[in-house]
Amino acid sequence: MLQTENALFTIVMVLYFAAMILYFLFIAVKKDRLATAAAAVQTAGLVLHTAALVCRGIGAGRLPLTNQYEFATSFAWGLCLVSLVFIWRFKFPMLGAFAAPVIFLVIGYAAMQSREVRELMPALRSNWLGFHVSTAIISYGAFGVSFVLSIIFLLRGSMRDQGFWDKHVPSREKLDLISYRSVSLGLLFLTFTIVTGAIWAERAWGSYWSWDPKETWSLVTWIVYAVYLHLRLRRGWRGQAAAWFAVVGFVCVMFTYVGVNTFLPGIHSYA
Amino acid sequence: MKKVWIFLSSMRFAIILLGVLAAACAAGSFITQGQSLEWYASVYSKRTAALIVALRLDDVYHSWWFLLMALFLCGNLLACSVVRLPRVLRLTRSAADPEALLAGPATVTREGVADPEALFLAMRMPKPKRAQVSGREALVSAQNRAGYWGAWICHLGILLLILGFGLGQMTHREWVAYGVPGRTCQVGDTDYLLTIDDFRVDLRADDTVEQYTADITVRSTLTGEARSARISVNAPAELFGYKYYQNSTGWAARVTVEKDGETLQDEVLCAGEYLRVTDLPDLAVYFNAFYPDYVLLEGRGPATASGSLNNPGYLYSLYYQENLVGMNALLAGEEIKVDGYVIRFSEPRNYTVIQVKRDRFAPLALAGGLVTTLGLLLALYVQPRAVWAVRDDAGKWTVSGLSPKGGVLFAERFAEAAGDVEKQTT
Repeated sequence: MLQTENALFTIVMVLYFAAMILYFLFIAVKKDRLATAAAAVQTAGLVLHTAALVCRGIGAGRLPLTNQYEFATSFAWGLCLVSLVFIWRFKFPMLGAFAAPVIFLVIGYAAMQSREVRELMPALRSNWLGFHVSTAIISYGAFGVSFVLSIIFLLRGSMRDQGFWDKHVPSREKLDLISYRSVSLGLLFLTFTIVTGAIWAERAWGSYWSWDPKETWSLVTWIVYAVYLHLRLRRGWRGQAAAWFAVVGFVCVMFTYVGVNTFLPGIHSYA
Repeated sequence: MKKVWIFLSSMRFAIILLGVLAAACAAGSFITQGQSLEWYASVYSKRTAALIVALRLDDVYHSWWFLLMALFLCGNLLACSVVRLPRVLRLTRSAADPEALLAGPATVTREGVADPEALFLAMRMPKPKRAQVSGREALVSAQNRAGYWGAWICHLGILLLILGFGLGQMTHREWVAYGVPGRTCQVGDTDYLLTIDDFRVDLRADDTVEQYTADITVRSTLTGEARSARISVNAPAELFGYKYYQNSTGWAARVTVEKDGETLQDEVLCAGEYLRVTDLPDLAVYFNAFYPDYVLLEGRGPATASGSLNNPGYLYSLYYQENLVGMNALLAGEEIKVDGYVIRFSEPRNYTVIQVKRDRFAPLALAGGLVTTLGLLLALYVQPRAVWAVRDDAGKWTVSGLSPKGGVLFAERFAEAAGDVEKQTT
């Protein structure tokens, strides 16, 4: 099973790379069929990625959500899933062109991690693991999409061929709203992540909150996006300012994920 | 005074507080917490160390200014909730009130609609109610009014969460008990005795730990009542209102002290414990660490090659009149000889560390977390919407829609639905 997962993972990387190239060609050549093909390749990548995760789960005899490699590959999966849902929901294939490089970067990061399957330490042997980590994956994926949307928003006015961009990218007002929807999804799932993590920590460590760096930075990220929503809803802080805020929020997400693991060891150090 | 109240209950103040709290949390994660001035001086400069200690950055999360900000946030949330409650009630009531809807703003409007009920249906709105507004016939449908309560409920949840956490921090009681099976100890300053009946470490084939399990009995010294439970990692037990957690483990060994062939002391010593020779109290042996498969690595000192008891090694320190006089590792069959006393280490075994805790406010914090989640769900995913139609003198309908959070997406959906209905009608 693990050999199959290895093979599938390589194919998935190739497919995500191919999707990225097709999206770039779509922008360069301006042929709509290329965007459709790119989305199809990305969807195929997601299907095989799901299969790879299932194989790893079966091979490891547990949920594949417990180490750096497994979380990184699942993060790429979540990002791909949320971006495809938004592409389909808002009829917005150009989103894929900007999401594909981020997905490829994340899966590239996964490829650099050790793929060794290790047995779980007692603290990780809990049903809460699935709830806690899977909600984090959806949350990070949604924040990733909001980051991509914000980048598109910020670049929207400076594109040379405005006709092409007007045709394929929604208005700034709509982009702003879609980004808000994405942040909403991310914040809701981050809240699930924090609450399920607290319940689990109370059972495993005897304390639902220990100010561990991972916990602390999840809270910082939560606060940043909560401030974003407040500014947006109550003070009309939309458009450019909101887009920059979403970018800053995603920097916090990435620090919570990679930065904390690298620079701030704590009781989440296995994650 | 009114201006102060307005500021303290304002969103601007909430955002300032959240920003400062986030910055403080970030600072607390970068600066190692709970160290001494000397430690900070050795890591940073003396001046920086003095600044860290003066600003309580060495214990950010318990500093007076952090707690004060949390208190201000609670006050702000409370004031904001009180101030906003009438508005939320008004919005909920007026969301389906024909007169209020017709007099208020609309997100989108379409004139000349022939079949408004089909448009209501296409917008997946509930069956509209008929009403007369200023002598005109109107149809009104509203849904998801619970969405207006989202932010309010979310704020209430955060308030409960902070209260539960804060009160828990102030009132919680926590102790650590440890020992090998058979050992009984008092649980902190309570009237309960904890006996470790059994402890086992389940290993997998590759020597990794699968689970730590302890059987414990807690006895009340007041009533004599005893209750037993099995605890393991992720499966604590609650006995007499206290929670018992299987926290960690370590190594213990049997230590004997002999003189002239006579055994003077025979005790189980956990790593990290002292044994004072009763005959000669100036002499003490400290059990530093245990290595089940002892190896001496060059440049790194003692280590264990595996988790199996292949070559037990006991690292000890010897003290005389509180001064360190020796330190070494004892292997199987070896002994310490000092002043005619013979000290032996044998029968290594695991001891368990059990955390005992009571936090009466943890359920309040949990409720706060769940209420916050519910509030967010309502605020972000239950979007209040209303669609209403008014018939003009020519018998045509003007249909309007309101979705405070839907914006352009709601307007697009409305336009699509209206277009579809028009096509069907024609």
